[in-house]
Amino acid sequence: MLVTGIKSKPVYAPLRADPRGRYHLMLGLGAGEVALLRVLREMQAAALDGLARTRVLLIPAPAAGDAGTAEAWREIEGLPLQEVRAFSDVAALLGEFKSLLEDSLMGTRLYVAGPESFIGLAMKIALEFNLNKDEIRAEELGSLARRVYCIHCRTTAENVRTNIVRCPGCERWLLVRDHYSRRLAAYMGVMADAEAPGELPAIKDVFV
Amino acid sequence: MSEEQTLAVEVSAIERLTPLIKHFTLAPVGGGSMPAFSGGSHIVVVMRGGARVHRNPYSLLSSPLELDAYHIGVRRMEESRGGSHFMHDQVTVGTRLEIAHPVNLFALDKIARKHVLIAGGIGITPFLAQLEDLHQGRAPYELHYCVRSPEHAAFLPRLREREGERVHVYYDSEGQAIDFERLLSGQPLGTHVYVCGPAGMIDRVTAMAQSWGWPDSHIHWEQFSAPPVGDAFDVYLARSKMHVHVPPDQSLMESIEAAGVEVPYLCRGGVCGFCQTRVLELDGEIVHNDHYLSEADRGKFMMPCVSRARCKSLVLDL
Repeated sequence: MLVTGIKSKPVYAPLRADPRGRYHLMLGLGAGEVALLRVLREMQAAALDGLARTRVLLIPAPAAGDAGTAEAWREIEGLPLQEVRAFSDVAALLGEFKSLLEDSLMGTRLYVAGPESFIGLAMKIALEFNLNKDEIRAEELGSLARRVYCIHCRTTAENVRTNIVRCPGCERWLLVRDHYSRRLAAYMGVMADAEAPGELPAIKDVFV
Repeated sequence: MSEEQTLAVEVSAIERLTPLIKHFTLAPVGGGSMPAFSGGSHIVVVMRGGARVHRNPYSLLSSPLELDAYHIGVRRMEESRGGSHFMHDQVTVGTRLEIAHPVNLFALDKIARKHVLIAGGIGITPFLAQLEDLHQGRAPYELHYCVRSPEHAAFLPRLREREGERVHVYYDSEGQAIDFERLLSGQPLGTHVYVCGPAGMIDRVTAMAQSWGWPDSHIHWEQFSAPPVGDAFDVYLARSKMHVHVPPDQSLMESIEAAGVEVPYLCRGGVCGFCQTRVLELDGEIVHNDHYLSEADRGKFMMPCVSRARCKSLVLDL
């Protein structure tokens, strides 16, 4: 298959606090708040004074449709943070994130926890502010559904769970590759039956 | 670097800018234009004057858009090992020199949102070319330039004319100094800082930026210093089957070159990693003076451009 061993496929790691950071900006979606809580507790336990310079923006689990992690959200709200704000949708959270970046100073670290599509959208904005790898940490939690960019018509399909997807723009059948663009925050989708029209591999749920 | 890879140039003008700094214009022998370069690049000038061959790196200070000649600024060092005195005392208009092709180890980050440039003394030179690049771009920038006294402020009229309010000058003689904490604690996200000057200045800028949370990828520095002196020692080059003596005031690389063996190099300052050489046998210790090798690699390799040895015997894979 075309899709293995591609270097651009992002690799994530469990979030850890970065004690070298001066300011901390954390974004969470759904189950991601569990990872953020873990980092915040780590900062508290290390008696770092970073909590007072930490802002958290998140979409709590119930609002994100995840059950069982509302506890984490309540605990985060109780911490002595600079700011913690809950949002009900991704666009509003990312809008606020972007305006915070406008006023942020060098020394800021970004932490993102949630599904990959959410991480990708946050990183795409961070990239516009020239945040480098060593300023961003991300932990993947939740759905593996992908954003898929049609390389033929440039439409992006959201929430793709299958190996083959029909492009919402040009209706070609696309093979979802591991080839990832940080700039577009999407995986590349390439016409799957270009050589033999109509001949497609079995369509399966693979990104769940 | 082999002889074939050098460029032949002729000194077409020399201008004394300050009591210690001369500006040399290097034009291609036989006309034509010089190879393109980007702001922050340096060349290595090969000086075949006296008993020894010197190879010193100098930043290119003219606009990367003007390639009819290269321009370098040379400060006369008090403790010169010969290179800067050769340039100041023996080179005249018409002198032919060999130079190595430009290399950039101090490049601007092309997608930075802001650039903060900090120069100390002759460290202004790479910024002169970078400013020409920054002039073309949209990102804001500022230059902070420290010099001993007004008479030592090379290139200041050109900077004031071109850059106006973006240039901040500090004179040691008047007790002025950059407040690094103030400068580095309030910069917007996506700022890059670049520093070129004395080692102490580079250390202070780096430490202050790090203490305010700047990651290393946003901190850029360059320093061309003479290779450190030390005890004399002897080395055996295993592949060339040759014994080489390294005197106290000559670097290992220079001694190897004088024996006729070529060592690949770019910076000759312990930064670029090009001359990394495997140590095959050692009875004694390596004095590592580079900024390149990791602790783990220091057991197996050395950088002959700046590092030396205190040893009974040393065998290198050269």
